Amino acid sequence: MIISMNELKAALRRCFEASGYFVGNYEDAANMVLWLEKHGLNGLKELELALDYIKSDRKKTMSKVVYEDSTSAIINCSGRSALNCIASAVDLAHAKALEVGISTITVHNCHNRKFILKALTDCGRRGISVAAYWQNGSTTVTEHTASIRAGARYPSYSESIMSSPADNASDKQSMTIICSSRVDISTSLQHSSLHRSSRYLSAEQVAANKENSVDHGIQIDDTLWVNINSIGAEILVENSEQSRQGAGA
Amino acid sequence: MIKPAHIHSSLRGDNALPLRPASQVMDLERLGAMHQSRLSFMRSLMRKVMLERWQIVLSCCDLDEKGHGTVVYQISAPYGVYSFVLFSNWLDPEQRNDRVIAEQWDLTMALVAGKVDDHYLETLRKNVPKQEAGRVDSRVFVLSRANRSLRNFDYVVDTLAAGEQPDVQKIEQVGYLYRTTAVYGSGKLGMADWEKVQSRWPDFARPFSAEMFTCFMLRNFSLLQVEHIARHQSPDTFSPMDITIKRYVGIGNSTGLGMAPFLIHHPLLFNQWIEMRELALARVRVLGAVDSTIKKRFRKLLDRTTHHTRQTKTEDPWQSDHNIQVIKDLKALHKQSSQPFTRWGQLILWSEKNCSLQGQELLVSVLLELYPELVNKLEDYCSAEEFLDLDPIMPLQTLQTVIEDRYDWALTMDFIADGARDIFWYRSEEKMEPRLGDALKEKGKDRQMALGVGYAVRKCYDQLLDYISEFPDHNTARFMVARPKLRGIVRRIQSMNRCLYGDIQANLLHRDVLPMHLLRAKLSFFGVSKFDPKSRLWVRNTMFQGAPLLEDIGGTFDDDWFMPLSPEYRSDETIAITSTKTTKHTEEVAAL
Repeated sequence: MIISMNELKAALRRCFEASGYFVGNYEDAANMVLWLEKHGLNGLKELELALDYIKSDRKKTMSKVVYEDSTSAIINCSGRSALNCIASAVDLAHAKALEVGISTITVHNCHNRKFILKALTDCGRRGISVAAYWQNGSTTVTEHTASIRAGARYPSYSESIMSSPADNASDKQSMTIICSSRVDISTSLQHSSLHRSSRYLSAEQVAANKENSVDHGIQIDDTLWVNINSIGAEILVENSEQSRQGAGA
Repeated sequence: MIKPAHIHSSLRGDNALPLRPASQVMDLERLGAMHQSRLSFMRSLMRKVMLERWQIVLSCCDLDEKGHGTVVYQISAPYGVYSFVLFSNWLDPEQRNDRVIAEQWDLTMALVAGKVDDHYLETLRKNVPKQEAGRVDSRVFVLSRANRSLRNFDYVVDTLAAGEQPDVQKIEQVGYLYRTTAVYGSGKLGMADWEKVQSRWPDFARPFSAEMFTCFMLRNFSLLQVEHIARHQSPDTFSPMDITIKRYVGIGNSTGLGMAPFLIHHPLLFNQWIEMRELALARVRVLGAVDSTIKKRFRKLLDRTTHHTRQTKTEDPWQSDHNIQVIKDLKALHKQSSQPFTRWGQLILWSEKNCSLQGQELLVSVLLELYPELVNKLEDYCSAEEFLDLDPIMPLQTLQTVIEDRYDWALTMDFIADGARDIFWYRSEEKMEPRLGDALKEKGKDRQMALGVGYAVRKCYDQLLDYISEFPDHNTARFMVARPKLRGIVRRIQSMNRCLYGDIQANLLHRDVLPMHLLRAKLSFFGVSKFDPKSRLWVRNTMFQGAPLLEDIGGTFDDDWFMPLSPEYRSDETIAITSTKTTKHTEEVAAL
């Protein structure tokens, strides 16, 4: 079915709120999913991968800064989804870049890292250039990078499938974030014999994808839509005569 | 023409105009005392329609003798062609209900981009009458429904059918034939998102202008329909409605709690509306020349406003008392304005010492009315993108100071006191209707909406002080990694600190909170009049009373329908109390 972006955002907010995400965080998470989908980067497919686990994050420990100096930091996200922890990592990179010009944050134990693109875009809009790099998967390994220039509204994004399963055990679900208030960072994956297939979306293509979503809305699988809404229904309060009085009847 | 740089320098810096402070303006009771003004969205819309001479024609009118059927209006505006599609159906009186939870209505409507062919009309017919139970596509950008006014509709039809004119006093009692009970836009039910409306259809690029236009079209249809039914009822004796009475017929509206969360969830947008209204007032204070002509016009508007308030009927004792006080205030302002003064600021200061909040805010609306050249163009700056951005580099001591300066109202509240957190706001499983619950008696507090901004700030402040004592050198970004649960409120605090007016200053969790003030604040920006509260949670009001009619488009336009009066007053705006004295309140009002 086709839904509007606003419908998707509202349903996702309820879904994340019902999953124990706190105020500020459930809006971020909803915006991260919507941003990817609306810009043609498969936000809903990423969400499907995350959906079975989103409630388990409330039992995990919070992210922790395990190392820090003036230009860098390492954050352990304790196996959480990027939906509820990556924005803080980007904020830290942003703050350090403003202080020292360029910063690097390494994130460990973080799932669904593609959702970082919305946080990168917010930095770009606010005059900071950012790039992110990560690998994903164990049997089929994919490689990703995204970046945005200072003052830009849209990032570029590249992804490749590695031609042979590499030893990815040391990866630790990591991501590297580089942020600068002085240098415009632009990334793309290098042409390599290690890549089986690659795709690159320029900032212009990302912008064009958005225009299509604005015009036509978002295509969503019926089952996923039902699933999102049924999780979100947990924040609704059951009806009663007394409850009806609370609407001013 | 006002440019963004001009607005910026008027609001901030050495050359800023004298704006009223946030502590005064953002007080909830004052916000709830605001009235329609020149900057209200209905006024703005009508200026656009009239000055651009939109062409609105009836392209399909398939109604039976009872007025049931389908109607399509085609609208040609500078940037596009649109269709207003309306379905009128018989409604069992037992089913007539203004609440969100209703499932059937007398009328359902849609505003659609482009022309509508038969195939698309059938698609709309299958979905629009179902409202929330239907689906539409992104050609549709407003969906609404309305119920007949039982007090007026049949009476007006019978009167016209008999060749007579409706008694104006009856229209005074209830100034409309239909009442809208919900007006949906912004992507609900599959409709076009606001992003699409704003970027693709510039004719409706101002906030809520498409929604207001739908209500305007409903009002025009209601007048067409009563004449249509009356003509069929008695073709030999029928006479059309006098045009001056037609202009006095507005459209009713019932507004409930749904508007309250909107204001809390869109703080930057609401701040923008307030900034423009306050800027308008500051421009009038400083630039508005005061001479005998403008004083005469001022007093004339005070008289008109007095009569308008007298013609406002309500059974609500709270509103009645306030209306009585407003009339006293207007009388006092009239007297005071006969004293010599050279600046409006003098009268404003006087009003702040001698008038009720409603009287003070009514004075603001009247002053804006006097100077269209200083006010009207600010209507182009009433939009804001809702980016609540974290300032990651802000030192924590600065964050502490921001809270102490901008949220002092929250820090002085005692959230432990009896009643301070007795209310919770939630969404019901019944159509997700927003409701208020009593935390001491009802279940659901664990699923409440996060509308208690003041309480959230208090909790944040306490945790911030603890954190600073341990990590005095950390910045906000570092604080957020350590205290991620505070991310929402911290970025709200920082974002609202970048605004002049910021958050609404009230504890929305308090047992005695009056959500009515939130509804009234938003409705005043829409431009409604004649508030008639039905409880502290919902209010009836009137839209577009006195506005031009479709047949007025293309003719002269004086943009002078502020505080509309019934035709018998409007002719010369003299004082003549003729209202029916049916209640104690009416007698009191008439006696003033």
